[in-house]
Amino acid sequence: MRRIALSVVAVVTVAAGVWFIYASSDAGRGVRARLESLSDMVNRTTVDGLGPEARAVQLGAFFTEDVDVELGQGAAAIRGRDTIIGMAERLQPRTAAFRLKFEDVSVVLAPDGNTADVHLTAEFIRRSITTGEESLDAREFMLGMRRVAADWQIAKVTAVETLK
Amino acid sequence: MVLATISFIVFRWVLIPIRTEGSSMLPTYTPDKLHFVNRLAYGTRGPQRGDVVAIQMAGPHVLYVKRIVGLPGERVAIAGGQVQINGTGLSEPYVRHRKPWDVPEVTLGPREYFVIGDNRGMSVGEHDFGRAQVDRILGKVVF
Repeated sequence: MRRIALSVVAVVTVAAGVWFIYASSDAGRGVRARLESLSDMVNRTTVDGLGPEARAVQLGAFFTEDVDVELGQGAAAIRGRDTIIGMAERLQPRTAAFRLKFEDVSVVLAPDGNTADVHLTAEFIRRSITTGEESLDAREFMLGMRRVAADWQIAKVTAVETLK
Repeated sequence: MVLATISFIVFRWVLIPIRTEGSSMLPTYTPDKLHFVNRLAYGTRGPQRGDVVAIQMAGPHVLYVKRIVGLPGERVAIAGGQVQINGTGLSEPYVRHRKPWDVPEVTLGPREYFVIGDNRGMSVGEHDFGRAQVDRILGKVVF
């Protein structure tokens, strides 16, 4: 009888572990997919006919209303989705020359599953219009993400100083 | 099959292939060339001054390639483009071009190395350099 009880406990424990790992990785996938969508959006050319304003609004949907961006190195903090939208609109002619790629994305979900800490490297690849040569700049970031309805949004961006 | 397995293990965990980008390590490393990072280089002894190392950012896929000039506990400064270690100028034969950079002295922590690229002909604002924690050093750049 005792052996059966122990076996049941063991099976339940393993099942719970498997479910937890599956659930965590699935939610992590959701965050990763959302970041992929963000880079796709940034990299999309203007051939879809969307004007800078509409594109900036679409980009804004990836951020929470109260988003807080700390870029460090003496740069002023950027606060609020509206500020991001305004900047995206103004900077679009310049950002169109860049491609954004996220590498080494690691996601740690909070136990409630509604917030996540993300650590990643953002690559900014710039192609020269004249020579066609590509140059690369990379920066490390910590993101705080929040689940809003069904979507993940970026609530906090903090630049990490790899070399201090 | 055996060769493929050995190659997979070696190039995934021991000798990591990397492609250099940018000009901060000129003239020692030119852009768009293949090199390898030896992850086992520091198994028995820590990084040494003069070593060119790979430093990871959020993970192992995007790396800085820099040269170690300062070791843990040392005081490092740059005066007129010359690296000073504990107040004494460091001989750096690998540096060909030098602009008069001035960087205030810092004292490295017990697990910190001061790393910098060989190309000092760039303006100081365009060059990423500074203190790196030992945990970020992925290995020594070889070949």
